[in-house]
Amino acid sequence: MAALSTRRFALDLATPIVLASGPAGFGFELDGSLVAAVGALTTKTVTPEPRAGNPQPRLVDCPSGLLNSIGLENPGFAAFVEEYLPRVLDLPTRRIISLAADRPDEIGRMVGLLEEISEIDGVELNLSCPNVDAVIIGTNPALVGEFVRQSRALTTHPMFVKLPGDSTTMIPAAAAALNAGADGLTLINSVSGLRIDHRIGLPMLHRTTGGLCGPAILPIALARVYEARRAFPDALIIGTGGVTDVEGAIEMLAAGADAVGIGYGVMADPSLPARLTAELETWLTEHRYASPADIIGAAHRGGFDVP
Amino acid sequence: METTTKPQPQTARNGSFLSVSGAHLISRNRGAGYARVTLAGITEAELAQPGQFLMIRRLGSAALPRAFSVLRAEDDRIELFIKLDGLLRELLGSVPYRTRFELRGPYGVPYEEQIDTDQRYILVGGGSGAAPLLFLRERRPDLVAETVLGFRHDGASGLFPALDFVVEARDRLQAHDRLAEVWRPGLGVIACGPEPMLRAIARQHDGVPHVYVSLEARLGCGIGSCLGCSIPTLTGTQRICRDGPLFASSELPWLR
Repeated sequence: MAALSTRRFALDLATPIVLASGPAGFGFELDGSLVAAVGALTTKTVTPEPRAGNPQPRLVDCPSGLLNSIGLENPGFAAFVEEYLPRVLDLPTRRIISLAADRPDEIGRMVGLLEEISEIDGVELNLSCPNVDAVIIGTNPALVGEFVRQSRALTTHPMFVKLPGDSTTMIPAAAAALNAGADGLTLINSVSGLRIDHRIGLPMLHRTTGGLCGPAILPIALARVYEARRAFPDALIIGTGGVTDVEGAIEMLAAGADAVGIGYGVMADPSLPARLTAELETWLTEHRYASPADIIGAAHRGGFDVP
Repeated sequence: METTTKPQPQTARNGSFLSVSGAHLISRNRGAGYARVTLAGITEAELAQPGQFLMIRRLGSAALPRAFSVLRAEDDRIELFIKLDGLLRELLGSVPYRTRFELRGPYGVPYEEQIDTDQRYILVGGGSGAAPLLFLRERRPDLVAETVLGFRHDGASGLFPALDFVVEARDRLQAHDRLAEVWRPGLGVIACGPEPMLRAIARQHDGVPHVYVSLEARLGCGIGSCLGCSIPTLTGTQRICRDGPLFASSELPWLR
């Protein structure tokens, strides 16, 4: 059998299938055996203060996807550390803590406080939530650099930066993140989208736009991951966006992702990530690959070894 | 069409939840705009309790499943009462028998765990909101003083020949108007239906104890992790799928 562990990855994951920040919450509602079958869980994004999130409706159906407007609902950093973190540390997988703040010193303060917790496996700076009032930091390379610099100075944990899938700003923003000391990139967040109620002519979401996720954004995520891998051959990349089957996961790895984040897919079917892990192992074995590392970035170097 | 000659249900218990990838449609009774649909091949289907729901999608689909309240649960069968107005609902209303569906659940807190069971209630349903109430009435007739079911048009009466409906187009009356006629002090209310109906009931019975409303939203995960269905309540943010779907109307000031 192929081994799924990806040692190239700073987190030394048991499988490249990871839970993306958001739909899996803090992992408590998922069955333990399903959590154990993924390489890591990225928590819901935690902010300095509690956030109630956006009013209903928060989810709107779209062709091949979903427009979401959760609005970073979370208990705030203090309550997270006190009440949630101990349970997160008990999860039978690696844990990446997702953080967001309006200012670089605020996110740095949280990153610094997490430094003492040696059992966490990484932090992810969410610089790309499309559903809050703050500017989307992740499209501005100078701001991205500043957020990462202040956090990098305060932690030795592996640090990932989650960026929007914006085709014009992603590469400069990613370069700024990596130059400022980020270990890796999480690509991409959900994509800004809009739906209008055709009966009344008004946006279906209170905040007008929301974040499009699901199979509709798979090609966008693949394009950004592919471009990032070409531009940064040594960066760690978690490719996230619209993967709902093993073929999608294989595409994401071939485009250059070291790990594949599952968001919408786990919302639709909580058992999907565990199934993807099993199916990926079978696929690698059938194709005589020893590990996922053998196919990461294959699209950049002649594809798979097809007999 | 995923109609196979020999459906082979695969059941897995994920924690306390049931997940079935081979439930198949065995019967359907269509009215105008509504249908009663039975899915079979569900191990331990009888575990579902009134107020609980299932997340359902076509087998093999990558779509986000939809939540359906249970109308009846018996042996390996679950019966639903659905409005035929969305893609999946139209599908359930039109696909050939034996078509297979993927379902998981039952989710949500059973009504009986949310209400005061020393109390008697008037059940008020609007449209397909009748489903969990009829299930409650079947399992706990002792809790029910009256049942008021309202529909905009008379399309569903053939599906429940033994029941009397309030039909707005015919009676010039809505379910909450009938409720106002039959309610008397001492009786509680359990309501499930469109938000305008729940609003009217919450206003009518402002300050009355034991008034409960069953809320609906487009659910994401159904298990309480995605926070797609969070709502504000007097005791903080709650999730319709995990903490509800039934809430005391007094907890929801925004509904009045």
